[in-house]
Amino acid sequence: MTLLEVAGLDVFHGDLQAIFGLDFSVAEREAVALVGANGAGKTTFLRALVGLIDSKRGNVRFDGGDIAATPAESIARLGLCMVPEGRMLFDTLTVEENLLMGQVSQRSGSWNLRRVFDLFPALEERRNHMPRQLSGGQQQMVAIGRALMCNPRLLLCDEISLGLAPVMVEQIYRAFADIRTEGTALVLVEQDVKRAASASDRIYCLLKGRVSLAASAGDVSLNELTQAYFGM
Amino acid sequence: MKGIAISYAVIAALIAAGPLVLGEGALRFSTECLLILAMAQMWNLLAGYAGLVSFGHQVFVGLGAYGLFLISDTFDLSPYWVLPVAPLAGAVVAAVIALPLFRLREAYFSIAMWVFSEIVAALVMKASWLGGTSGLPLKSSRLVDLDWFEPMLFWVSGVLALGTMGGLFLLMRSGFGLGLMSVRDNDLAAMSVGVDVRRNRFIVFVLSAAGCGLAGAVSFLGNLYVSPAAAFDVNWVVYMMFIVMIGGIGTLEGPIIGTAIFFGLRELITDQLGISAGWYLVALGTVGVVVMLWSPRGIWPPLRDRFGLKLLSVGRTAPATAELAPVSGKAGQLG
Amino acid sequence: MAWLETLVNGAFLGGLYGLLGIGLALVFGVMRLVNIAHGEFMVLAAYLAVILVSLFPQVHPLFVLIPVVLAAFAVGYLYQAVIMNRVARAPDPLAPLLLTFGVSIVLRNLMVEVFGADVRSLQLGELSRASLNLFGLSIGVMPLLTLVAAVLLFLLLQWALKRTQFGRIVRATADRRDIVRLFGVKPDRVYNYVMGLSLALGAIGGVLLAVRSSFTPFSGVERLLIAFEVVVLGGIGSFWGALLGGIVLGMAQLAGLKWDANAGLLYAHLLFFVMLLIRPAGLVASKA
Repeated sequence: MTLLEVAGLDVFHGDLQAIFGLDFSVAEREAVALVGANGAGKTTFLRALVGLIDSKRGNVRFDGGDIAATPAESIARLGLCMVPEGRMLFDTLTVEENLLMGQVSQRSGSWNLRRVFDLFPALEERRNHMPRQLSGGQQQMVAIGRALMCNPRLLLCDEISLGLAPVMVEQIYRAFADIRTEGTALVLVEQDVKRAASASDRIYCLLKGRVSLAASAGDVSLNELTQAYFGM
Repeated sequence: MKGIAISYAVIAALIAAGPLVLGEGALRFSTECLLILAMAQMWNLLAGYAGLVSFGHQVFVGLGAYGLFLISDTFDLSPYWVLPVAPLAGAVVAAVIALPLFRLREAYFSIAMWVFSEIVAALVMKASWLGGTSGLPLKSSRLVDLDWFEPMLFWVSGVLALGTMGGLFLLMRSGFGLGLMSVRDNDLAAMSVGVDVRRNRFIVFVLSAAGCGLAGAVSFLGNLYVSPAAAFDVNWVVYMMFIVMIGGIGTLEGPIIGTAIFFGLRELITDQLGISAGWYLVALGTVGVVVMLWSPRGIWPPLRDRFGLKLLSVGRTAPATAELAPVSGKAGQLG
Repeated sequence: MAWLETLVNGAFLGGLYGLLGIGLALVFGVMRLVNIAHGEFMVLAAYLAVILVSLFPQVHPLFVLIPVVLAAFAVGYLYQAVIMNRVARAPDPLAPLLLTFGVSIVLRNLMVEVFGADVRSLQLGELSRASLNLFGLSIGVMPLLTLVAAVLLFLLLQWALKRTQFGRIVRATADRRDIVRLFGVKPDRVYNYVMGLSLALGAIGGVLLAVRSSFTPFSGVERLLIAFEVVVLGGIGSFWGALLGGIVLGMAQLAGLKWDANAGLLYAHLLFFVMLLIRPAGLVASKA
């Protein structure tokens, strides 16, 4: 069952085109990796999917419905959620309040405060702390937890491991396994190709706004990936 | 460049010939237009080029006027010779308050200027030696040849208006002007390339205060009377703002268009339609609001971009076009 | 003793000043907009109150606050939805400033044309003049009630912002306008509610001020400047600081008037300016 279907997507920043005729798909419960160098267009693509960028054209279908012209607020309520690059926590809200923001879209599902705290125990101790008092890894947990509270069907994760210690990244990726068993599909955007590939079923590689490789994670060699990454 | 120099000379000639051609009423009206244009350009300089919106510029209008009246009467000098005091008064006060006021950004600077103006107005109203709430008549008016009074005021206003516009034009094409525009658009970036943001802002602030001071002095000289309510009336800055907003902030042509609309509207509503002045202000405000909603940069920039007009172009550049004048001063398109 | 009385009454006046400022602070805190027309909206509320009181003389004047506050909320909502939201997104910070200035001009002169320039006030009869004797000081009942009302409203606002989901949404929108959309929130709608709230609070301040002193269509300027001074003095970003700032201004105002009866708001303005010089961050350390 295809959850997300993108065909011929063009995305623009003002007059500059950033994404060119992109085709992309994610099936239910699938984990898809999206890799590429800095500036390849990964974040732009995710932001366009989720409705934060208006200047785009092409086909985007989520759960059978056309969302190409749907505003971001409505897309969130459909269950397409994002953990934004740089975490983007609400700085004047406590950890718990940040998590509770996930309930605003009023989607039903199995994720609630208790389950998020079970997944990330470090957060429970700090539920009344402000984001600036947390380490990078803990902030990332809050960002993921906040998105989980939306009970998403598809979760887009933008550069989760950026700036985090390997131990932290391990912990978070282990959480992804739990998230997947709950039935949420994932898109993992990373610069760290190996990490993303090891956690996913399929990989796309983006180069200067175009797909340079699309394959099953098991079928592609590191060499091929590197070539697609750098465009050699 | 030549085109501009020629037009400038033509306008100067027209101004010189004005009193010979225009009747007294028309002369008075033209004087008023020129003064308001000059004030608007001063406000434009501060807001459009230095990025500081002042809701208190009426204080410089009043200070210039009071400075003129005070010195002229105290020393019994002909007001024409005392005119230079007016810009000086504005400049000095501006220089002094710049220090505390520059700590504030954007809206906070704007309103603090307004508060300052209210303070000065209140102090003047309480000072009996300044005539208190009734104000001062110009006693030295007997030193003035009344036959030449209107023409003299017209010529002074003409010089002020032309001088402001010419001065601004040259200023903006200079290195200083380039620095200014960079400060307006992004002061952090400007600082990183060595532009002294605070010094530039300071200079512009003082200049705009001086210009308003002189315009205020000439305006009240024409009435031979100054009162605090009129001198420090917030409507001065309302007029300045609206002319610049509607015409086009950060351009030299904008205020010209704005002034034309301002006076056109006023004559239409109060003269032709005979409606009271209050409704005129309602109309002015409404036009301003509508323009801000539909064309936040004013009327001139879209016109200019659409028809490719370039009259006095040194204006604030739109982000899409890279129209930076090189430091040597040639903008290229003006031959 | 007389001086102590002045200071105490000044504190009460300060509660009112705090109310004038809180609406402005709310809008700036959430939307980064300064609504220059805030003063005129307050005066408009006062005119509405006066009209309602004359239409329904059998009702106690203070009850008029209810319809006025509701109307103010509706006006604020529409004002934001129709006009302000369009310009709030402009990259140019000048546009909203100039636009609200324009709105203030329109409102002010419209009020002159429609209501005339006569001085008006809201009469409460006995209540306006009543006073209590507390610890040997003569304390006006209305001023005391006004301070109590101000504190209660501040507490209510704080509770709403800190303990309700609506408050969370408002604070989150103030933090990150774009990201909040990812959680199903429409920032424009949030702004509508906030502006409605701002004008409603301003209306309360405007009506209570009309009880205390008279007003004309030109009174909006005074109210805006006070509101602004209160917010800046209190520290941009601190609500309780605004109340404190109001109290300090109120004391300065009354002390100044005692010494110099004709001064109007001069001493309040002067205090503001002096504070600006010596403590530009405000009385309460802000987290701006």
